[in-house]
Amino acid sequence: MSEEAISEAPAARRFKIGALSGQFGLAVIILVFWAVFSFHAPGFLSSFNIFNLGRALAVDIIIGFSQMVVLATGGMNLAVGSIGVCAVMTSGYLMQTLGLPVWVAVIGSLALGGALGWLNGFAIVRTGVNSFIITLASANLFSGGMLILTRAVPLNALPFSVGAFGRMKLGFVSPMLLIALALGVALFILFRYSVLGKQILAAGANTRAAAMSAVPTGRVIVIAHTLSGVLAAVAGLLVVARLGAAMPAVGGEDWLLPSFLGPVLGGTLLSGGFVSVIGTVLGALLVSTIRSGLLVLQIGTFWLQLFLGLILLFAVLVDRYRGLYVERQKIARP
Amino acid sequence: MKVLRSLLLVEWSGLLAAIVIGSVALALVSPNFLSEFNIYVLLRSLCVSLLVGFAQMVTLGVGQMNIAVGALGGLVAIAFGGMMEVYGVPIVVAVPLALLIGAAGGLLNGVLTVRTGINGFIITLATASAFTGIDFGITESIPFYKMPPALVAFGDQHFGAIPALLVAPLIVAALLGLFFSRTVPGRQILAFGGNAQAAELSGIPRGRTVVLAHVLSGTLAAIAAVLAVAQLGSAQPTIGADWLLLSFAAPIIGGAALTGGYVSVLGTMFAVVLIALIQNGMVLAKVDPYWVQFLLGALILAAVWLNRWRAIRTGTGG
Repeated sequence: MSEEAISEAPAARRFKIGALSGQFGLAVIILVFWAVFSFHAPGFLSSFNIFNLGRALAVDIIIGFSQMVVLATGGMNLAVGSIGVCAVMTSGYLMQTLGLPVWVAVIGSLALGGALGWLNGFAIVRTGVNSFIITLASANLFSGGMLILTRAVPLNALPFSVGAFGRMKLGFVSPMLLIALALGVALFILFRYSVLGKQILAAGANTRAAAMSAVPTGRVIVIAHTLSGVLAAVAGLLVVARLGAAMPAVGGEDWLLPSFLGPVLGGTLLSGGFVSVIGTVLGALLVSTIRSGLLVLQIGTFWLQLFLGLILLFAVLVDRYRGLYVERQKIARP
Repeated sequence: MKVLRSLLLVEWSGLLAAIVIGSVALALVSPNFLSEFNIYVLLRSLCVSLLVGFAQMVTLGVGQMNIAVGALGGLVAIAFGGMMEVYGVPIVVAVPLALLIGAAGGLLNGVLTVRTGINGFIITLATASAFTGIDFGITESIPFYKMPPALVAFGDQHFGAIPALLVAPLIVAALLGLFFSRTVPGRQILAFGGNAQAAELSGIPRGRTVVLAHVLSGTLAAIAAVLAVAQLGSAQPTIGADWLLLSFAAPIIGGAALTGGYVSVLGTMFAVVLIALIQNGMVLAKVDPYWVQFLLGALILAAVWLNRWRAIRTGTGG
């Protein structure tokens, strides 16, 4: 963009363009990866692979959302994976051991996810201690509790309809992806148009200023963590449907990196106060694309971690310098 | 009474009491606890844990965190084992090289954090993933088994119930104690962690201090990795995979301030001993190993609460 063009745009719009260009760049990177993968491995674009990619993507998106709503408050939630696995095992217990109908199990698991998230939020607000350390401790508390209660035994005699939902195809996408996108629309509306969403962002941007403007910051942070817990439980339920079984090995620390990758790649600020729902979806798409592509190319999952780490580094560096660039343009032309 | 009160305000007093009470209780309940072999096993399990705790303590001191402690440990472990098995590098060369790799990893973390100004959490989360990727990419999760006999012998050597390996963490602890209390860079790290702005205004170089803390953290993680290889007798790519929780639990239970500026070498050591004691007690009582994770989580929460209560009681910060 030339200097003249920038000088004509108002500052606020320029900042928006800065954020938008980040998502545009992300979309371009995703397209490049799709082109490379489909060129080198024709199997990448097969309906089988697209279907599987869509199912993995649905889980990645929702894990990202679960982290995003807490990042909005300026905190973080290391317990996303443990809440997810607790929801997984709860749903299995309710359906298989107690023989309750599927919808009861779904509601029960979501309620448990919300309750565990609420506990996190409550402990953080009450003690005033860094959310990092509280959720690190609670993650182990939840995972440990789950393992003690289930003795790490998987439950794989679930009702037939659960696995059938996991295998269901609408065209060539899974209904799971539609659930993820519907949640995205709901979150977009929450953060863009609702008072609660604005309050969450305000508490994240500047807690003291928000409190002085009569935002109930404590309550808002607890609500964000509760929401994060419910979303983690949704992700857990989708994994149950995909596997057709409730496995104690899903989630946990495996979800830690993906949960941050989506939002951070998508431009959500770690310091709080700004989220990007569309960016999180794109970030999750990049992660799923790379994972699926490496699998199809048979590079092996061993190097996957390295790629994801480098991409995260690359993304935060680019984001940092884009932010500096936008700032500098603003200062140069008041 | 006054002595008791002031003792209560020392951050590690509670830990010491818990260790004493716990040991007595274990000795009464299980006669095996005081057997020479059990004490040897207990002390041996401390060696790596102490260094893991120190590695995180240093970054907490400067007000940062290092998610990559375990990942870097794993990478150093397989590099250390690999260079000895595949290239036949002698131990006296391999150990310094391993520490150098750890320091280089820490340098990368530190420079990236300082130069970009991005939260150390996200930088080290990314580098942790990269380190783990290299670790598993190189080894394809197959360990290096053929370690030099001298190294394995050192790992197994013990004088009565005291393992020879314990020398390393004790020397490191003494050096760290001196570093943080008597040297200029050590004081600068704590000053910077306590109040970054005030430290910068007093002329403490920001970049150098943070980078130094990360380099030190990487080096300590590397020492932990070398000890783990010596102890196991093989270089497993999974070394370090379970260090994350322990690395934070030890310094925080030991009284380090999460916001930086205050660390306690002795507190961290007592915390590691307490954690080892709990694990040992559970093995003796044949409790489900899953309880360890659960209790560690609970212990951290309790410690955080206690620290906060003490801060309010003594009026040192809110």
